[in-house]
Amino acid sequence: MEIYAPTGNTGEPQNSLASPIPVLNGLSLGILDNTKPNARVLLDRLADRLVERVGLTLAIAETKNAALAASDQVLESLSKEVQVVLTASAD
Amino acid sequence: MSLDMYEILEIPDSSERELQDLFHEKGWGDGLPMIAPTRDRVEEMLSASQDLDPDEVIASLPPRNGVATRRIIAVNAVMAGCRTEHFPVLVSAIRALSAPEMNLRGVNATTHCVAPLLIVHGKAARDGNYNSGLGAFGPGNLANATTGRAVRLTLLHVAGATPGVGDASTQGSPAKYSYCVAENLDSSPWGGYASTVGIDDESAVTVHCGEAPHNVHDMESSEPSAILDKVASAMTSWGQNNAPISQGEYFIALCPEHAATCAAHGWSRSDIASYLFNKATVNVGDARKAFELRAWAPWQHALEDTDNMSMTEKAENIRIFVTGGAGKHSCVIPSWGMTKSVTVPVLP
Repeated sequence: MEIYAPTGNTGEPQNSLASPIPVLNGLSLGILDNTKPNARVLLDRLADRLVERVGLTLAIAETKNAALAASDQVLESLSKEVQVVLTASAD
Repeated sequence: MSLDMYEILEIPDSSERELQDLFHEKGWGDGLPMIAPTRDRVEEMLSASQDLDPDEVIASLPPRNGVATRRIIAVNAVMAGCRTEHFPVLVSAIRALSAPEMNLRGVNATTHCVAPLLIVHGKAARDGNYNSGLGAFGPGNLANATTGRAVRLTLLHVAGATPGVGDASTQGSPAKYSYCVAENLDSSPWGGYASTVGIDDESAVTVHCGEAPHNVHDMESSEPSAILDKVASAMTSWGQNNAPISQGEYFIALCPEHAATCAAHGWSRSDIASYLFNKATVNVGDARKAFELRAWAPWQHALEDTDNMSMTEKAENIRIFVTGGAGKHSCVIPSWGMTKSVTVPVLP
């Protein structure tokens, strides 16, 4: 008997990960808080460590809705102001 | 496009038990037995699309970005037990699920218990023998059960909404097995729902990503306001996902008797929605205490703690349709919040 697999193919990924940044020292850092409970606590503490240990400069913090993509305005603001963004926290 | 784009498995003739075990080993299915999607059965299902391209891409379904062609939807329809007459409703529902405002990525991936509810309207509901009467939400009707199930199988297999992989729902939901109902047009005093959102085709399907139904029981009232006060009470529970989200929609599935009482007093659909908008309110201070994370419209942030506000930002977010049979039970179906319902014509 021949049967079809029900999964089908997958399309091209809509996004790909950015290339790693080899040297963080001297770059500016942004936070994109997805507003999940405790996300900001985690992101702030991580940012503090990166500023202290690696020499990044915290420049800007933005927020987004947890269930939706960040607005164009927020993404434009981050892309103009910083080279590194910390984001994402699940519950 | 060709059959090369599909994986076809050659399997030995085996017992029903061995076949179901194979499905399970492959990670396919919803836990219930499924029908083998043989070439012949899939071709028969595709005959419902007449001469349309079986390999046309109907939708790309996140989070897996699975490519839902007519053929792969037909495979899932066969597995769910659909008949050919249900296939155009299923294809149309998958088309609706891929609309950007549906936010299917979020619907599939959230920790919430949301499931897509299909509401079948008009000729397709009659021709497909969908149940819009007694026990409309189930169980017992082949069309409702299998079309709803085929949507879920497509989401599991094509969209990758597998619990723990692409579906993070904390507790899941019985509505994630099958969630399909028909509009009771014969008992609707206001005509069909689809035309209220600009779809005048003789057949349509609405997809609303929501919670399982919240019952509204009113045996005694002869006034619309008394019935609708109970509906409003079901809309204002703090536990539902719409509570901190102002853009959330509510589908109000009125039973024919509740609908008739409203209509007999001259109330239209929009009268009911406006009444509920004004009645389903909560105290702003209590809402602020209840939720740290609030997705409110800008005007809501400006309210004082002593103010009251509606559960949703506008009356148009409260959608009314009629379903069910004799008796006096209606229901409220709150959405997940970050999603909008979509109504489309039924097209093959």
